[in-house]
Amino acid sequence: MFNIGSFRTQTCGGLSRRSFLQLAGSVPLAMGMGSTALASASRAKSVLFVFLWGAPSHLDTCDPKPDAPAEYRGPFSVIPTRIPGVHFTELLPRIASRSDRFSLIRTHATTAPGHPDGGTVALTGFPELPVPVQPNFGSIVAKARGNQGALPPFFSITSGMLADAGRRIEGYGGGTLSQAVDPFLVGCSAAGEIKLPALQLLDQLNPLRIQDRRQLLTQLDTATRQFEHEQQVGWTRNMKSGYDLLLNPVARKAFDLTSESDKTRARYGYTTFGQSSLLALRLVEAGVPYVQLNYSRHPEAMNPGFELGWDTHIYNFELLQDQHCPTLDRAFSALLDDLYDRGLINDTLVVMMGEFGRTPKITPNAARDHWPPCYFSIWAGGGVQPGRVIGTSDKLGELPLGDVVSPLMVGTTIAQLAGIDTQARAEMNVLSGGKVIDALL
Amino acid sequence: MRCCNSPPRKTSDINVHVRRIHCESITAFLVICSLIVVPVSAAEPVRLTSDGRQKSSPVFRDGDKELVYTDFADATLFQLRRLVLADGTSELLHPKSTSAEFEPTWSADGEVYAHLKLRGVLSIGIVVRDRQGTVLHEIAPGGGFNGYRSPALSPDHSRLLFSYAERGAQQIWSSQLNGDDRKLLTESTGVNNWPAYSRDGRRIVFSSSRDNDFEVYSMNCDGSGIRRLTNSPSQDIRPRFSPEGKRIVFTSHRDGNAEIYVMDADGANIRRITATPDRDDYPEWFPDSRRLVYVAEIGGRHDLYSVSVDP
Repeated sequence: MFNIGSFRTQTCGGLSRRSFLQLAGSVPLAMGMGSTALASASRAKSVLFVFLWGAPSHLDTCDPKPDAPAEYRGPFSVIPTRIPGVHFTELLPRIASRSDRFSLIRTHATTAPGHPDGGTVALTGFPELPVPVQPNFGSIVAKARGNQGALPPFFSITSGMLADAGRRIEGYGGGTLSQAVDPFLVGCSAAGEIKLPALQLLDQLNPLRIQDRRQLLTQLDTATRQFEHEQQVGWTRNMKSGYDLLLNPVARKAFDLTSESDKTRARYGYTTFGQSSLLALRLVEAGVPYVQLNYSRHPEAMNPGFELGWDTHIYNFELLQDQHCPTLDRAFSALLDDLYDRGLINDTLVVMMGEFGRTPKITPNAARDHWPPCYFSIWAGGGVQPGRVIGTSDKLGELPLGDVVSPLMVGTTIAQLAGIDTQARAEMNVLSGGKVIDALL
Repeated sequence: MRCCNSPPRKTSDINVHVRRIHCESITAFLVICSLIVVPVSAAEPVRLTSDGRQKSSPVFRDGDKELVYTDFADATLFQLRRLVLADGTSELLHPKSTSAEFEPTWSADGEVYAHLKLRGVLSIGIVVRDRQGTVLHEIAPGGGFNGYRSPALSPDHSRLLFSYAERGAQQIWSSQLNGDDRKLLTESTGVNNWPAYSRDGRRIVFSSSRDNDFEVYSMNCDGSGIRRLTNSPSQDIRPRFSPEGKRIVFTSHRDGNAEIYVMDADGANIRRITATPDRDDYPEWFPDSRRLVYVAEIGGRHDLYSVSVDP
């Protein structure tokens, strides 16, 4: 029997190591839904969703307005892309030079003005209220695909559960489809060290250091003792599957970034996002159906104890030119190149976007605040026609001109390209009312 | 020698500029804009650190013996690190600090230093300390989301420069070390940032986007006599006077990525110092005005390097 939500076997107040291992071994099978929802042949075997959490300024990156007044324009010059007449700012030269490998949408709009709800809308297509929360796009793909391989079907690359300062993002996981299709969280440091947030209780536990079952059992003895003193600790599905991954050679191989040459790793940059991007590539290469690559765990850019996100209410221009854009430009361009060079691009759908845009008019703090009415996304591979710009924003970047692309349309298009067609979506009762962005195909 | 033989651009000129870039091949554009790269010896640049972590804003303290820079060792807590050049050892400058600290500045006499400090949610202040590290002043920004940028001490540590945003524009200010007696030195549209004193304390060099993109300017220490020194189609940022006062080092993206350039103090004779496919940034002069230290991203790793510069 497998009871994900309530499993808790105790011996003398602690967990039974044997029952734990039995359970761990059963996780992949349990996650395999054997779904009949995958009704049509998918073009994208994998989806790689790059989430620029915190929301990048569209004017300072992929939708510059060099003719706008100074109070809108910003300090950056524009550079040509490979698409005639289309320019990016000078902060993204590598991505601009690869614009023939992706398509750009400049007419996104969302209804959610804040991060917690905006994040949920961006990841599910629906607001967090009314409950129940709808499933993350990745959970939909995971549900439809089931557990076809040795790895969980949905990874989220992050140092912990996505959260705004005070609370987690409700659209992080399975929602109405159940926790069984929550993402498996995996973190990656700037040095390429893999961290499993679900296993943080075990000091110095690194999947690459666990050489055999005996060694793992030793670690688990320690863990068991810890649990005896941590009665409030929840025994989650992620934690169980985390242990399972420690003994999974496919996972260990995917996690081992040192098997890549230094030249390859260097192209991504030795930054948290750079090495995380390489990890995302390796998970796709290993056949994981959905990988959500998060730029940061929190959206905030300057909060004590947080990584630097894209929420640049202050220091917008400094952070973009010094940190975010150089990091993103290097990592994402390397990721695109390797998807092409390794022959993965046709089978992999890549989507990169934030949860909204940022104010076109520069704020009194010489920065940019939240701007839900207009923002951009980048799409590549998996059936998307590259080298195109879908839609345009007005001369100040305040509103889309023409048809608006909603987060629900993003999710619907992802699902469609992943082989989850209208009927399959209806059977799963997800993405109701969503339309495919036909202009991408 | 200037990169492009064009007058300072007006707002409306940018379309012309974009069209020009678009019509020509990128290669041709780079050839037109390329400047003579100053040759350096085979042993240069000299690598000063080897951890490869992200770092920024190196400055000298105690003559040419030690550098202090911002170390991004922890993605959630960037701190100031002190590097001893003689043996390459380093340690955190304030190991007990639990707040992010960055952008250090030292007075030329070595008596006072200052840095930015993350005080709370989207709130960044300036901390001024004496030679021993004792806090002399903490200057809080205004309420709400607010922060100072780029503090710079006068050579005799009588004044403090910083960049601060109000009413949509970011200006350069001067104040006493406790933040009192604030004087607005720039009054333009756009972003004015990265101020730095000349060694005699009479001139200030900085970058401004008042003419569309970031260019280097200089002005008297009271804000008068502003002169534009560069004119390139991309960012010219983080200028620093050489200690002997004759030259200015800065970062420019004019060749397509961040490289280090040096020019005379009047903006003439621009020459490129670094030439790599990756980012070279955050330049600072050695006290002897003959060498530079900077952060280079080589092979995806960020380290401090030094390079000689012809007198």
